[in-house]
Amino acid sequence: MKLVIKNARIINPDQQLQADILIQNGVIDKIGKISEKADKEIEAQGKIVFPGLIDMHTHIRTPGQEDREDLESASRAAAKGGFTSICCMPNTVPAVDNETTARWIYDQARKIGLVDMYPVGAISKQRQGKELSEFCALRRAGCLSLSDDGDSVKDPSLLRKALEYSRMSGLLLISHCEDKNLSGKGVMRESSLSAQYGMTGIPSISESIIVARDIELARYLNTPIHLAHISTVRSLELIHKAKQEGVQVTCETAPHYCVLSLKDVVENGFDSRYKVNPPLGEESDVAAVRQALQSGVIDCIATDHAPHLQGEKELPFQEAPFGFIGLEWAFSLLYTFLVKEKIISLPLLVDKMSSVPARILKLEDKGLIREGNCADLVIADPDRTWTVTEDTIASKSRNTPFIGYTLSCCIEYTIHRGKISYKNV
Amino acid sequence: MLRDKTQILSAQDVSRALYRLSHQVLEKYKNPQDLALIGIHTRGVDLARRLKTVFRERENLEIPLGILDITLYRDDLTAVAEVPLVKETTINFDISGKTLILVDDVLFTGRTIRAALDEIMDFGRPRRIALLVLVDRGHRELPIRADFVGKNIPTSREELIEVRLKETDGKDEVVIVEKD
Amino acid sequence: MKTWQKKHLQGIKELSREEIETIFNLASSFKGLSEREVKKAPALRGKTVVNLFFENSTRTRISFELAAKRLSADVLNFSSTASSLQKGETIIDTIKTLEAYHPDILVVRIGYSNCLPTLSKYTQAGIVNAGDGCHEHPTQALLDMFTVKEIKKSLEGLKVLIVGDILHSRVARSNICGFQKFGAKVRVCGPPTLIPYKFEDMGAEIFYDLDKAMADADVIIMLRIQKERQQSSFFPSLREYVEKFSLSTERMEKLKKDCLILHPGPVNWDVEISSQVKNRVHPLILRQVENGLAIRMGVLYLIGTRKGEYETGN
Repeated sequence: MKLVIKNARIINPDQQLQADILIQNGVIDKIGKISEKADKEIEAQGKIVFPGLIDMHTHIRTPGQEDREDLESASRAAAKGGFTSICCMPNTVPAVDNETTARWIYDQARKIGLVDMYPVGAISKQRQGKELSEFCALRRAGCLSLSDDGDSVKDPSLLRKALEYSRMSGLLLISHCEDKNLSGKGVMRESSLSAQYGMTGIPSISESIIVARDIELARYLNTPIHLAHISTVRSLELIHKAKQEGVQVTCETAPHYCVLSLKDVVENGFDSRYKVNPPLGEESDVAAVRQALQSGVIDCIATDHAPHLQGEKELPFQEAPFGFIGLEWAFSLLYTFLVKEKIISLPLLVDKMSSVPARILKLEDKGLIREGNCADLVIADPDRTWTVTEDTIASKSRNTPFIGYTLSCCIEYTIHRGKISYKNV
Repeated sequence: MLRDKTQILSAQDVSRALYRLSHQVLEKYKNPQDLALIGIHTRGVDLARRLKTVFRERENLEIPLGILDITLYRDDLTAVAEVPLVKETTINFDISGKTLILVDDVLFTGRTIRAALDEIMDFGRPRRIALLVLVDRGHRELPIRADFVGKNIPTSREELIEVRLKETDGKDEVVIVEKD
Repeated sequence: MKTWQKKHLQGIKELSREEIETIFNLASSFKGLSEREVKKAPALRGKTVVNLFFENSTRTRISFELAAKRLSADVLNFSSTASSLQKGETIIDTIKTLEAYHPDILVVRIGYSNCLPTLSKYTQAGIVNAGDGCHEHPTQALLDMFTVKEIKKSLEGLKVLIVGDILHSRVARSNICGFQKFGAKVRVCGPPTLIPYKFEDMGAEIFYDLDKAMADADVIIMLRIQKERQQSSFFPSLREYVEKFSLSTERMEKLKKDCLILHPGPVNWDVEISSQVKNRVHPLILRQVENGLAIRMGVLYLIGTRKGEYETGN
């Protein structure tokens, strides 16, 4: 199918231009003045067009917990949020620690056809942290990265072996940085607020201690490592220093760490929709995260989309599971709170949510609107506002603190491999 | 803002009324040893104290005095907008078998008296209860009547009657007040 | 103050000085009620009070039960031992079930801090906090402050010391808040492992040395220590805890003559306080119990007779 987008204001991180785009056979054929006729024409005057977003960290709960999210609802949620590729974490039932399960996810998602799903393989068998899984087989099945997310690899000698082995398979190791002995039964950031309100706290060192450990291993073995959902001042300081010293470390943060702090937990009466791990931080952490986005210490943004059943969140704070869904409003949220507030520029946001992930995952034909690249793009209206409401959420789950938020930059079209995967006009 | 409209009773009228009422009580109840006074907070207590003094000084009688706060026994319609301050309730004598003279400043809807009667019954079994008020302004909402009345003052429902006593307000008088 | 506005009593944090003083005044009157022959007033007649205790507590429950009954309310007692509470669903389902009986007041004791705002979403009743996790136990603080005020007349400038497991103590948190509102200077003392990280921000001075802390104290509140804390390595042994933090006869000698010693009860004799000084210390602790009943009557009265528009949530 021939698709033409007219008068697009194209936002690539390094270059913005006004042009038409011709898409054919799932590929961006031509950028410039297009006069030829097409099967479908989209008028994009006044809208922005940027490369399809890539999420390095999503939980799709499939296989095993399809009541929270299945491949179809995850695909729809992703497309609604402007995502054309997502990497799904292996903490499912069973875990994605083998070629068959990984392959199944990859193929099923292809059949649904709304988004490219790259399963993230487990580092260790069943994520137990004891034996390595078959990295090469997982690569064959479509994995681009590996992680035991949900847990860190407790035993440093196993992580060492994993890093060494990953050189052979070309897969990137993603580390969930948390020392569970320190975080214990904590439910919110350990702080003077947790002290006053009698809540068991998760100390920030639970994250930074593992960040320090993982940086040392990456340095020692001269092998890349990617750190997931970084949220604290101290972790960012360590990563900054490591990068300056040439360690091959990259990291991501999630949208909520740029917008919410632990004060929001308190002000909302400890509603379990504010419970997440890592927990929401102090104002200084939020400021540090924003600063790190500007300076490049944080390489990219990943949603950590984590569906949970309504019943599971309708629980006292202490009992509820950790996590937020977030695919559908990640971009709009950050546009509203960071770009509109002039904390980061729009091209930088696109960079963090599309181009950098593409580079890190070595997806050479994604992440930029360029002739020859895969036709994954998003058309959005920066001035059109929309409100997050329970009944319009595409995900099967509803656990998010952002219900009721009115956001700018409404996504109008998501185009995946040349086909419209989402439309909202 | 409220201002005085008419003075119904002057200081002298008040004192004469009390004197007359004390006589009426003794005339009706021949056995003063069975008598007791119960004053309802706040001004009913002041009036009851004065009656006790009159009995002592004029008739040489020591009549026991109890004070009652009816806040916990009110029904919803007697509820005032203010915080329900529960004041002292003290009845230090046995009320069983006695003739109680319940004393209040103004009789209006009758609900305060109903509450007072319920509360008194929780203290024991008096032989009889008689009601003595300085002013009866009509508009009863319950079947309650006073046995001894200082003055009957017909009023419209919207009018406000204020009883002022030296002990609480610095001077004795009864006035009708209206909004400015 | 014109009318009592608050639908719920969640903590001392949200109460103004004026509101606390209103409760004190009511408590004084209610003490009188309990001395009459007919210890009853119809103030809460026809109201239904449910004691919803998800954590065991005979003493607090009895206190609330009697307070409600003396005001002529109908009382329902619901308890569920901590072990049978497997999932939080049970808590919210319980509230929803009780709602069918249209309760007027829910007196809730629960092991989770800050759970009440969530619970209030599922009921129209006013909620009185009888202790939520480690967060607040407002009626305990109110009765402690009332007891001190009865004797000392004013709380302004008093040096109040709280001793023991501060980390897990809702009594400590409520008391610190309450006494500070009236201008008292509060200190806490206990092993460093049992004093929360960044606790200084609550405004209380932190001591690890009991002898120093109690030197010029006007009021000392001793908290219960749970022996199980030893298993979690909060202190190495009970013996060492007693040596450093117990009110022994020697320590009693060094106190100010008119220092008041309070304890939320029940006392672990010879752990928190030496049994040798029982006679000296017990009367005031029992007075706390008496005052507790009066304070709870005051609280139930205010929450139960409150007139106001229906509010959702807090």
